[in-house]
Amino acid sequence: MEYGKDYGKEEMFAAACIREIQEGDNVFHGLASSTPMVVMKAAKELGKDFNYVTLSDGLDHDWLRPPYSASTLTENTYIGSVATFGLDDIFDLFARGQGHIAFLSCLQIDKTGRIAMSVLGGPDYDHSALRGPGGAGTASIVPCCPRTIIWKCAHDTRTMVPHVKFATTTAAKDKSMTLITPLCIFRKAPGETEFKLDSIFPYTTIEEVKENTGWEIAETEVPVLDPPTAEELAALKKVDPNYILGYEF
Amino acid sequence: MWGSDLLEQNPDFYKVFECPWTGEKVVCVRSLKPDYSLIHVQEADIYGNARILGPAYQDWLMSRASGKVILTTERIVGTYRMQEEPKLTAIPHLLVEAVVELPGGAKHGICYPEYLTVDFDLHKEYQKAVKNGEVPKFAEKMLEGRL
Repeated sequence: MEYGKDYGKEEMFAAACIREIQEGDNVFHGLASSTPMVVMKAAKELGKDFNYVTLSDGLDHDWLRPPYSASTLTENTYIGSVATFGLDDIFDLFARGQGHIAFLSCLQIDKTGRIAMSVLGGPDYDHSALRGPGGAGTASIVPCCPRTIIWKCAHDTRTMVPHVKFATTTAAKDKSMTLITPLCIFRKAPGETEFKLDSIFPYTTIEEVKENTGWEIAETEVPVLDPPTAEELAALKKVDPNYILGYEF
Repeated sequence: MWGSDLLEQNPDFYKVFECPWTGEKVVCVRSLKPDYSLIHVQEADIYGNARILGPAYQDWLMSRASGKVILTTERIVGTYRMQEEPKLTAIPHLLVEAVVELPGGAKHGICYPEYLTVDFDLHKEYQKAVKNGEVPKFAEKMLEGRL
């Protein structure tokens, strides 16, 4: 597979996310989450046996209906569902320890997994330069989620900063957190308090990752992730003929 | 909520207590009690019994949490619809203050399966109206069908 010819950063990013999903997982993505929506549909198409829950109330909707908009609140993630399972049920599921993966994003993140979704900049909370959406379930779900995956379609020093001033949530010490960007994967293992560079994508280098990350990266040698397989690319194409995957990049 | 700066930011809203059974420290969130909820549904009868035929989001919770509920509905149906399948009545009349028949009442948003896509042009108009302090004018045009 050749970068730029057979696949782009979007497909690599999606393949990295797909590979995180394991058999039997209960997997959630939030609002305005077109990227994980396509990822989870493709994972279903690849035959992964997991449960898909999201804010539209739908449980395991018909993933072959092509999304036509980047909104994750349309009927697209509802039609064909086998049951309704709303956000209140999803919060309870994670609080009981029965949720496995939550795909969440952020405005900013730092090395310790402090995540900004509420406010950015300004002298204090009430006089911030930017008020964010708050991240609905981020603060509630992250402390209870064994494998939070932060998906961030931009990798730069504006979003990956040395220190997040106001944290909507922070990675839980006893849980894992994974940060996936268009260049690489960072992981914080249970028991640890900081992200480590886990692997990089085939078309980049550790130097490029370091240049674009606002915190110190100590790792000098990490594995290069395999490029997307033909099966992964075919699944992405099949579930997403309108290329909603490209929206966030 | 552990690890969130929101706890310190909003001490009136979040409090840490000890679980009376396990002794574990838990974050408690103060309940919200809105005076009113405005909820748009697909079907309601004239008494305020309502069916939500698509995603319900947290409408069910909102109807229970609020002091009063005002329903807008795509259509008024006979009470027999509720009697046929009482389990599908998401909001019972005893919680409801008023019912307004308002087809298209969720626009420019969506109301499954009546209209399925957000009207983004209208959404932009709405944003403009909010910015310019012209929401009443916008609402008037919407209700008259001029938008």
